[in-house]
Amino acid sequence: MPRPEDKTILVVDDEDDVRDYFADILRDAGFNVVTAGDGEDALERVREKIPDFISLDLVMPRKSGIKFLYELRHNKDWVNIPVVIVTAHAHDKLGKKDFRDIFEDKSFRGPKFYLEKPIDEETYVRMVCENVGVEYEESETPEKTEKQRREVEDLIKDADPDTIAELLKRLKGKG
Amino acid sequence: MTRKDLPEEITNWIGRQLFDHVPSNIAVINRDFEVVVANSNFKGVFGEVSGKHCYEAFKKRDAVCENCMAAQTFEDGEVRVSNEYGIDRNGQPAYYVVHNAPIYNGSGEIAYIIEMSYDVTDTKSLQRQYNILFERVPCYVAVLNRDLKVVRANELLRGTFGEARGQHCFRVYKQRHEQCEDCPAMKTFADGKSYTQEQVGIDKRGLVTHYIVSTAPLSKSGDTVNHVVEMSVDVTELHKLTQDLLKEGYFRHQLTENALDALVGTDASGTVNIFNPAAEELFKIPATEVIGRRSAWEFLPEEFHRLFDNEGRTLVLPETTVQNSEGESIPVRFSGAVLGQRSEIIGGAGFLQDLRAYKKLEEEKLTNERLAVVGQTVAQLSHGMKNILTGVQGGLYGIRAGIKRNDMERLTVGRERLERNVTRITEMVRGFLNYTKEHVPKARPTDLNRVAEEVVTLYRDTARAEGIKLRLEPDPDIGRINVDPDDIHTCLANFVSNAIDACKEKEADEDEELSVTIRTAKKDGAVLMEVADTGCGMDEETTNKVFSTFFTTKGLEGTGLGLLVTRKLIHAHGGEVSVESRPEEGSVFRIELPLDKLPPVSTD
Repeated sequence: MPRPEDKTILVVDDEDDVRDYFADILRDAGFNVVTAGDGEDALERVREKIPDFISLDLVMPRKSGIKFLYELRHNKDWVNIPVVIVTAHAHDKLGKKDFRDIFEDKSFRGPKFYLEKPIDEETYVRMVCENVGVEYEESETPEKTEKQRREVEDLIKDADPDTIAELLKRLKGKG
Repeated sequence: MTRKDLPEEITNWIGRQLFDHVPSNIAVINRDFEVVVANSNFKGVFGEVSGKHCYEAFKKRDAVCENCMAAQTFEDGEVRVSNEYGIDRNGQPAYYVVHNAPIYNGSGEIAYIIEMSYDVTDTKSLQRQYNILFERVPCYVAVLNRDLKVVRANELLRGTFGEARGQHCFRVYKQRHEQCEDCPAMKTFADGKSYTQEQVGIDKRGLVTHYIVSTAPLSKSGDTVNHVVEMSVDVTELHKLTQDLLKEGYFRHQLTENALDALVGTDASGTVNIFNPAAEELFKIPATEVIGRRSAWEFLPEEFHRLFDNEGRTLVLPETTVQNSEGESIPVRFSGAVLGQRSEIIGGAGFLQDLRAYKKLEEEKLTNERLAVVGQTVAQLSHGMKNILTGVQGGLYGIRAGIKRNDMERLTVGRERLERNVTRITEMVRGFLNYTKEHVPKARPTDLNRVAEEVVTLYRDTARAEGIKLRLEPDPDIGRINVDPDDIHTCLANFVSNAIDACKEKEADEDEELSVTIRTAKKDGAVLMEVADTGCGMDEETTNKVFSTFFTTKGLEGTGLGLLVTRKLIHAHGGEVSVESRPEEGSVFRIELPLDKLPPVSTD
């Protein structure tokens, strides 16, 4: 099973804070991350080293996401790099046309889906892991624990006596 | 006393002198129509006639006249009186009244006829003139007898009312079967005085006619009037015109009374003669205090007053101000005309349309427009915010990670990221709220070239870093104009910032120059500023929307409100913004400030 340390992710977004944030998430998950602030820089990074995955913003100056994607797909070395589009403009006029081009153009092998900002961190990391073949490790968060607790409470209501007895044993046993 | 008793001298005179002295032409003719003797009057008129035939002498004919009176008298001895027409010795036509009487000889036979005639040519001439007058005078003339029957009617009467002779006048004029109640002719018959009255009749076509009748006694015997002459002037047309005029007058009156626009009319001397209810409303002063008492120039614009010595001139002022009686300044739309009649000025009229309601509507519309933009862009805003929210998220993530791993650096990075993005959102929201608020420019005399220089200084380094040439081409004669320098700075900075971004955006070749040029100019009563760039340009669809929608192609900068705010600020100065652009070539953003629409200097 490949490890995150062996994978390089390219994060492309023109907003510094967004780029850094995504990079942080992925680095915390163990990946190597390179970043680029626009389409031109992104191409540079790809030339330097072919990444295992690209997280791509659409609306950027100096070669927008769509133009970058186009060049990517028309280069035989790059055509198979998996890409996810992470955008703020999915529904407005700025993004619409690009979207149509990407998702409806059959000749253009684009990403299968997209993410809308603001993202859900877990979904983001999970998606990257899936695409590069790395196992996703759940991280403990207080929210997660709380969620699980509630889940347990819900399930207890309908649980059969045997399961409850076992649970009780488990809980009490944990000292 | 008989002839025999008369003194001899009289008898002698009668016998000898009378014949010649009597003021009549006398000739005696025999049965052969030869003139036997003629008096000197006769000879005076007709010349020497002895031995001539009477038809020769009288009429220069060579045969007996057809209806010869003398011949008939020769037959029956009756005295005859007739009107004859003859030619005198000068060949001139003459009219005579001729008496033919028989002279008997001793045997009782008629031996001679004595013809006595007198000249009635002048009378005839007068008669003819009278007839012409009677017939042709352009009014109806009729002569009535005591039975009120028409004895004679002139051409015009007959033409209008039909054949009238022998009919009752009330039948002729009015197609009535009985006498009119206030018949003026009857009054004249009664007292012999003249009367004048207005009457309404029906002509032969059945149409109503109006006329003014004057009656006068024509002939009398003693105190009794036998004939009355009626002279009538047809005033049907006049009557109709008067009615039309009255109707028109009434209509006009209703118009001015009910008009929504204030109407102030003035006579040639400048005194108000029309001041309708709308004017009372506008100026807050009753018409009774104004009409005939106040000068129109207290109410109408000065520019109109200046026109007043030129008849036929009109003036339209789309927007001007007048003062009402409470000292309020009211914006109005004015249109006025100087009225003349045959190159003489008879007065003027001005219409004033109160623009306050309209202005209020305009303002409301503007506010609604802005709110609509707001509404429209709330959806777009949320998208714009998404990046910022992601930044907030990122900040929180860093803080969490920092706390979990006890990593101060991560904590700091996270906190800073959070702060930055919270500030961005705050500014965005504030900027947006500000945009919807009314902005009153704090205007003061400003040198626009200086403002432009400041903007250049502000962006000089940024431009240089990107390899963009930033130039200023100022108009040296720009002078100072009343604007809020901070507002203008904001607008120019917005344009320059956009221009720089457009240049950055452009994928230019090595030798292509990327430049941003600011120009100022004073021209045709307005000040112009433009920012031209050789950047990536915009397509037509974008150009049309660029000032009116929340719009940004930039991720980092801009709330997208920049151009909206610019437009709002310039509108507040009475000016206009516009843009021209060609994709891949560049854009020109312009500000136009008409000098007469600039805000007044602020007293703050």
